[in-house]
Amino acid sequence: MVVKNRLINPGADFARAGLAGMVLLVMLLMSSTAMAVKYDVVPPSGTHKGEDVPQPIEFPHDVHVKDNDINCMYCHTYARRSKVAGIPPTSKCMGCHKVIATDKPRIQELTKYWENKESPPWKKVHDLPDFVHFTHEKHLKTLAFDREFPVEDVKEICAFCHGDVENMTVANKVKPLNMGFCVNCHIANKDLGAPGDCWKCHK
Amino acid sequence: MSLDNILNHWSDYRKGAEEGGHHDYEHRWAMAINLDLCIGCNACSTACYAENNLAVVGKEKFEKGQAMHWMRIERYWDQQELEHPEQGASFLPMMCQQCGAATCEPVCPVAATYHTPDGLNAQVYNRCIGSRYCSNNCPFRVRYFNFYSYYESSWPEPMEQQLNPDISVRDKGVMEKCTFCMQRIRTVKDKAFMEDRKVKDGEVVPACAQSCPTSAIVFGDTMDDGSMVSKLWKKHQVERGIYQKTKLAKKDADLRGYRIFEELNVDPSVMYLERVREDI
Repeated sequence: MVVKNRLINPGADFARAGLAGMVLLVMLLMSSTAMAVKYDVVPPSGTHKGEDVPQPIEFPHDVHVKDNDINCMYCHTYARRSKVAGIPPTSKCMGCHKVIATDKPRIQELTKYWENKESPPWKKVHDLPDFVHFTHEKHLKTLAFDREFPVEDVKEICAFCHGDVENMTVANKVKPLNMGFCVNCHIANKDLGAPGDCWKCHK
Repeated sequence: MSLDNILNHWSDYRKGAEEGGHHDYEHRWAMAINLDLCIGCNACSTACYAENNLAVVGKEKFEKGQAMHWMRIERYWDQQELEHPEQGASFLPMMCQQCGAATCEPVCPVAATYHTPDGLNAQVYNRCIGSRYCSNNCPFRVRYFNFYSYYESSWPEPMEQQLNPDISVRDKGVMEKCTFCMQRIRTVKDKAFMEDRKVKDGEVVPACAQSCPTSAIVFGDTMDDGSMVSKLWKKHQVERGIYQKTKLAKKDADLRGYRIFEELNVDPSVMYLERVREDI
């Protein structure tokens, strides 16, 4: 229908398109300036459809991040301190869940692990090949801390490679995390000091 | 590196020693090996095996020349004509010389070996197709080829636990060589980056230098004038990119420094200090 209309009455459509274009342009300008102020980083592009990874307890990221506004680095505390972001120890979960939501079945399952002095056998979702050297701490330092990026918004930086974890329950791999994904981002962010040397990542 | 990047910057990586080689170095890692101190104990070689996940090939394959020792001790007799105890054994640790104008680099058909901004000859195992051209073009014979897949066979049951996770286990059909322990360099550089400082001298210690009982091997950055290595290079008047007829010109006993095959103009990064012997 729309295509037909356009052919019959191009004038009216142009006017409509022009208005829509103006609105779009303004929105684009606003968003791009906002982006420039906030980021001056070109986020990596590319999507991926990861397989569902069944976890021992169906951990709801959305409840923690979106509903309760807990920072990624509160649980994944090693991200800013080492190569790997790390899965939090059960003691960290129990720090809150000794008192919070103790009536929920998943928390009771967790408490069972805790009482047996075991940790739930979490499965790795974002697994890089063994020949790749990747450090979380260097990326966080360059992308967040050195640019005085507000720490409460750090999830936007994490989302570059981990996707919209805020709206996921169990984390799923939604970015390809292959060589092209890394290299394109490194080329786009050369000004930030992203290295282009093979041996920076290959080992 | 994208294909465009490789094509556009190809000439930079291919510059010879006269043109200054690859121009924008961050570091230029180098060694000074004092042959007077080397006792030929092979500790460096063993340490290299442990550090770099080198495969132990066994006697038969060793005889065929398929050994994978990135670091080897070459033995020479000073007086060949004499009988054994008087022959005068001298030893020379030989590893990749990380040439500034390396002969292995321009012949690789897939750019698996290239020059890093650290002044090292990198070998990217994922990229290597195993043409072995680099090995045939290396005057030092320090590149080793994986003729077999050692992944399952070389490390029986509990032994695979000692593999170094910071460096990959190479598979069949891939060329490999000494990297100056780039995994250690990388760790130190990452640490320096996190602390917003430069890499200090003596912070990077390769496995061979660490294990040497007589501290014959000194490792460091020649771009850093204060480093032990650059002081030694300066003291023995060995300079990069310049071919000196060291053996002929340096009569002075204090100037013992030389680089192997300097006349080939490959600009090696390893300086050896000649062994001093009493005249009989």
